[in-house]
Amino acid sequence: MSLVEYLKSSNFSAVTEVETLHEEVTLCVDKSGWHDFANILKTDPKLSFDVLIDVCGVDYLHYGLTEWATNEVTFTGYSRARTELPDTIEEPRFASVYHFLSTEHNLRLRVKVMLESNDLSIASVNDIWPVANWFEREAYDLFGIVYEGHPDLRRILTDYGFIGHPLRKDFPLVGEVEIGYDAAKEACVYHPVDIQPRVVVPKVVRSDARYNEAGDSNE
Amino acid sequence: MGVVKADQQGYAITSLDSLLNWARGGSMWPMTFGLACCAVEMMHAAASRYDLDRFGWGLFRGSPRQSDVMIVAGTLCNKMAPALRQVYDMMAEPKYVISMGSCANGGGYYHYSYSVVRGCDRIVPVDIYVPGCPPTAEALVYGVVQLQNLVRSGHREL
Repeated sequence: MSLVEYLKSSNFSAVTEVETLHEEVTLCVDKSGWHDFANILKTDPKLSFDVLIDVCGVDYLHYGLTEWATNEVTFTGYSRARTELPDTIEEPRFASVYHFLSTEHNLRLRVKVMLESNDLSIASVNDIWPVANWFEREAYDLFGIVYEGHPDLRRILTDYGFIGHPLRKDFPLVGEVEIGYDAAKEACVYHPVDIQPRVVVPKVVRSDARYNEAGDSNE
Repeated sequence: MGVVKADQQGYAITSLDSLLNWARGGSMWPMTFGLACCAVEMMHAAASRYDLDRFGWGLFRGSPRQSDVMIVAGTLCNKMAPALRQVYDMMAEPKYVISMGSCANGGGYYHYSYSVVRGCDRIVPVDIYVPGCPPTAEALVYGVVQLQNLVRSGHREL
């Protein structure tokens, strides 16, 4: 019995969706039943996912939209105008994604737990896979996902006293503050940024009437 | 050229300052401050092919107390900035700073990043900027010679 068949036939209450794409299995798991299901993933002899490869956060804000559209053409070339993104936030906005490996059965599995932005708490799996410790700290640091039951949920990458979660889509790239040396205080102090955020529009090489070879039919 | 015989040619007279500056420029002990890929080029400059020892610069120290010059080689992050300043403050006078590479000069590739200092001269005073991403070992050696000239000229205030 394949992994997908087993997962579907077992009817785990926490699993809301089983998806296979590119020969990779992804489960969508309900937040409330996540910790119990994680225990099953580890202990069920048919699964025995003993290795947690990675834990990461995802921010689905403006998912599939772009700030710069290059589809419109004018006499002077393609439009590079910036388009405003909508203010609306589609829920669930965040996800906590886990990748597992079963060394016993040579199986891999991806588990996705969707999170609403008004309640970003989710059960920690640090007690089941100790490797989750730093991964969950990283997801907390960069996305603000709070892992309940984590023994030491501190920031791991950004500066001490950092405010905000940098990998969120609404975090400005240049940040809010920058550091400098204050000779009077004899210390490095933060002050507001002095540069403007900008949208970097990549240069796209595409077929354009001006660059066609001589003799092309659409001259 | 040839061996100059002092009794035939007279005596060279110089001020003590010039002598000290000459000696100081030829015996600089760099503080190891490799932060990113520039550090690899700094190692190349110190290794046998380019051999910073020829200029009296080969003795890289792990302690700021024993160093004269700090080569800031790489991206300076916000989290690292207080540590960089502390190490600079711990160095004994006279002290010099070489900013190596685009990132240390002005943020470089990470200029628009929320976590990178847009130039290490926001944290410490810099004497010589070495451009490049990363600068070649030759470029760093050129910067070293520039700082050597600056020290020996005596124009740099101590």
